[in-house]
Amino acid sequence: MISLRAKTIIEGECCGELFLINRRISFYGEVDPVAGEVRGVEGSFKGKVLAIRGTRGSTVGSYIVYSLKKHGAAPNCIVVEDAEPILIVGCIIAEIPLIKVEDFNELVKAFSLNFRRARLISGEGVLILE
Amino acid sequence: MYLTKVEERMLGGEFGEAMSVAMKILVKVGEALGASRLIEVSHVHISGVSYSNIGEPGLEYLEKLASTKPKFSAYTTVNPSCVDLSLSSKIVSLEDWEKQAIINGILESMGSRTSYTCTPYLLRRPFMLEHLAWGESSAVAMANSFYGAFTNREGGPLTIAAAIAGRTYMAGLHLMSERRAKYVVKTPPLNNEAEASLLGLYIGERYSEITQITGASEWSHSIVKEFLAASAASGSHALVPLDGVTPRGTYVVEEGVERTTIDRRELEYYYDNVSKALELGEETLVYIGCPHLSLSELRQLSIMFDGRRLKRGVHFLVTVPGTYRAFRDIDRSLKKAGVEVAIGTCPIVSKITVKPDVVLTNSGKALFYLSKLHKFNVSLASLVDIVKLVSEK
Repeated sequence: MISLRAKTIIEGECCGELFLINRRISFYGEVDPVAGEVRGVEGSFKGKVLAIRGTRGSTVGSYIVYSLKKHGAAPNCIVVEDAEPILIVGCIIAEIPLIKVEDFNELVKAFSLNFRRARLISGEGVLILE
Repeated sequence: MYLTKVEERMLGGEFGEAMSVAMKILVKVGEALGASRLIEVSHVHISGVSYSNIGEPGLEYLEKLASTKPKFSAYTTVNPSCVDLSLSSKIVSLEDWEKQAIINGILESMGSRTSYTCTPYLLRRPFMLEHLAWGESSAVAMANSFYGAFTNREGGPLTIAAAIAGRTYMAGLHLMSERRAKYVVKTPPLNNEAEASLLGLYIGERYSEITQITGASEWSHSIVKEFLAASAASGSHALVPLDGVTPRGTYVVEEGVERTTIDRRELEYYYDNVSKALELGEETLVYIGCPHLSLSELRQLSIMFDGRRLKRGVHFLVTVPGTYRAFRDIDRSLKKAGVEVAIGTCPIVSKITVKPDVVLTNSGKALFYLSKLHKFNVSLASLVDIVKLVSEK
């Protein structure tokens, strides 16, 4: 078990299988809002804990996050290193919890060591990886 | 973040669900950016309203938002939509007009003006030191750098939240401590608006931080408009202090900053990098009105075309604010020459029906986006040179 210091940006339950993309993504243009997939990345993040470095690109990105929710393809929760306004707004309107971890490199390391289930203990500001 | 008693109640849902969501957006984004409180805004300009851009996801969100019947608390204008509001354009596609009409109807039901323009400052002149919440990069740059008002460059959904709440978060360019120039650049005299566009693209591309421009004190409103739109497109610049133009006391230049001079040769070299040479194609599209033309600029164009007609194979598109529907007389004389005036729209946020092999424009912003988004071959030239090339007596 590995625990990471985490800050809740948008409240909510954050628990599930970790889906890591170790870079910034642009929701507009890179994400398929029906399948819950990221271009060039295998598998869907639907119903999982999506961990990304952060986001970039057009503000239409907020609407894509909302669209994921509408299509039932949204992640359970999003974990980031850097929370940009476009993503924050998207998570608020889509009601997706958003968590910022202090040390994203630790998360990447834990993932590579097969700690791939995430669970937020929000009262303590800790994200547990098992 | 500190909230007043009223703001606490707005957030808590006492003023409806839409207000609560709007406040949550402002508070959360504000907290992420280190804002200590919210601030009231006197004018909100909403970006991200074109159906071509926001598509079904955006429309769905707006429909859900509208279902709770919120009203805007601030004076609110909106960006161009993806169709010509007179529904007569032969160049800007009318394909999505039904979807766009739903979006426009939703925004107007909440209280937005029927502006549909990227030049909201032509409808309501911003005051110095006034706090605004504007989307639309070129307008943001004008508000900060020409009028001395204070606004960040906001995304679409955030501008809607700001309009509903009548507030935005107090961070970024709302704070004097953030309005500090890190570079000073001396520029050569400019001969026309196309050179201003070129200089804007160049500054935007080369400098990532706030850069004060000297040598701009003689620039007209039109020149400043083209310059800032270009620098906001190529470099996301929200504030470019112009010595002699930007009101003093709305920014500071840091001590000991790096000072450089741009000479004409540098710009000429850069021109060859970003622009095709000015010449007619088999099918040519001219685009004028990025940012939207003011009424006097439209009149000047009309005078330029007096007694002239377009050559064969030339489409000539001019875009103006949605509020100019009334000025049909100017429109008519241009129409006689074969020029199309489209209202409340712009080809950057629309689909285009023609397939030109060459696009000519005097706008650096249009060059930037039309070559990137629509993959056109674009040439940058002054309006005078373009009209001379594409029309005859």
